[in-house]
Amino acid sequence: MPLCLSVDLALQHPDYVPDYREDAAPERGEGAVSTISGTVDWLNISWEPEEQAANKPVEKYVGLENFSYVLGDPKFHKALKNTSLYVLVTIGIALPLAFFLAHFLRQVPGLIRPVLSFLLLLPGLCLSGVLATLFQLFFHGREGALNQWLVTPMGLDPINWLLDPSFVLPALVLQAVWRWTGFIVLFFLCGMEAIPNAYYEAAKVEGANTWRVMRSITFPAVRHVAVFAAVFLIIDGFASFSGAYNLLGGSGGILDSGLLLVTYLYQVAFPGGSGQFDFPAAAAMSLLVVPLTALVLFLVLFGRNRLFKA
Amino acid sequence: MRTTSTKYFSPAVLVSLLAGLVFSYPFLWMFLSAFKTNKEIYQPLLLFPDDYEWDAFASLFSGKYLDFIRFFLNSVFISCAQALFATVVTASAGFAFAKLDFPLKGALFLLAVLVILVPKQALAIPLFEWLTWLELNGSRWAVILPGIASGLGIVFFTQIFSRIPNELIDLARVEGASLPRTFLAILPLVAPALVTYGLIHFILAWQEHLFPLILLSDANQTLPLGLAKLRDSSHRIPEAVAMAAATFTLVPVVALFAVFYGKMRTALAELTLH
Repeated sequence: MPLCLSVDLALQHPDYVPDYREDAAPERGEGAVSTISGTVDWLNISWEPEEQAANKPVEKYVGLENFSYVLGDPKFHKALKNTSLYVLVTIGIALPLAFFLAHFLRQVPGLIRPVLSFLLLLPGLCLSGVLATLFQLFFHGREGALNQWLVTPMGLDPINWLLDPSFVLPALVLQAVWRWTGFIVLFFLCGMEAIPNAYYEAAKVEGANTWRVMRSITFPAVRHVAVFAAVFLIIDGFASFSGAYNLLGGSGGILDSGLLLVTYLYQVAFPGGSGQFDFPAAAAMSLLVVPLTALVLFLVLFGRNRLFKA
Repeated sequence: MRTTSTKYFSPAVLVSLLAGLVFSYPFLWMFLSAFKTNKEIYQPLLLFPDDYEWDAFASLFSGKYLDFIRFFLNSVFISCAQALFATVVTASAGFAFAKLDFPLKGALFLLAVLVILVPKQALAIPLFEWLTWLELNGSRWAVILPGIASGLGIVFFTQIFSRIPNELIDLARVEGASLPRTFLAILPLVAPALVTYGLIHFILAWQEHLFPLILLSDANQTLPLGLAKLRDSSHRIPEAVAMAAATFTLVPVVALFAVFYGKMRTALAELTLH
């Protein structure tokens, strides 16, 4: 249902305002618009034909104009590129990391295993605003943990994570990995614990090495968990807003290097960000995102079916 | 369950311990930072404060900077209502998809899968329009209602209920139980799944930022918005207050999870057995 509404909205003229919205949201930048048209009305009292023109309601539908506007918008391209990169890199890091962590956790004695997996889960439980705050105060900065413990020991100059355009996106990815790895570890762990012990004993009898066991027994058993986690990360990645909003204050970061789709959506639809008030363009934008996400997910699920057949 | 290696000192234990430390150390730092001065907080490598001052907690709960308790209660209300309604709606939908026959079942299920593929945030604009039209804009129900519809929940519960043997349903029918009565009688069998889904939905609602930001009026705001306010760019408020608030946004969720962790793992292990 919201999808149909979105289609309707995306075809509308940017200046068209439905009557229910006029009184509902008068303060959202529309005050300025109505004062301008008010002055026009006042000026045009003696100019009958012009007044009619001024009062003529804006044509409601403009066809596909909004779509072509969005498609030609360089900022939209930037946001799309950033988001895709963000999603891909997050999956590329979080999934293998979670798999190996779960593999190690499974060998941990049963008593402290739940405690450790719970510790890994902590970042996933808290608000992403908290993660962003911690990132700013704890990890970020010349004196921050990342620079002091990771970058400087490697003999590199301290990185300004939030002001260097090439490091804003990695900062967001880092935050996402930190946040979701624990949950994926939990899923992997539950999948691994369900593998019958006999499989491993058989492998031992056959003389398979660790790598071979992992590839032939552990990985196939958790493959559908991996697919589920990937789907979840893709959806969350395309929808992620809060982390970037808190870290960058609703802007796209320096040179828009951390501009994500939903952040841009928010900027276009609700002023304060960039001052535009453009619902239809925003709706067109979200409509363009929908088939894109669906396509990516379809590819993932389709790939999964082929994997199962093979 | 595997019991091949139960050594307490092995590389695997070491790696896991290290990972656990890396993932949770910042939260310890966060909690202790609630006692620190700004100067101490800006030295991230410092863990323990010089002396423990409870000023940050006091000013947080006395509402010196913002009415934290109201933000907290709003968050609790919205998340609980969303989790409760979503579990009820999706569990009954899942039961219908798994155990009943009705026209257009396949098409409707496909629609539910489609809803998963479209993130709710991408539909923020039309939802905003719709809720404005319903004149719900600003009220807490504007955030709760869109959160109830969840494609993921429907698919999850369809999976869960399809594992219940059909004989049980037939037996209930022979005994003369009505359909709702049958559904209620089956519910205890899927209790771990109900708890798991409710918890996950609660967390997602608790973390939701975009919808409260665009929909809620000033009186109804939730914790993510309050946290952002405490950390505004003017740096007027001591960082320790934000740290104390952050600790209190984490505590209820962690407590809930710690209580239901065992149940949740049971449900997840059952699911992955397929």
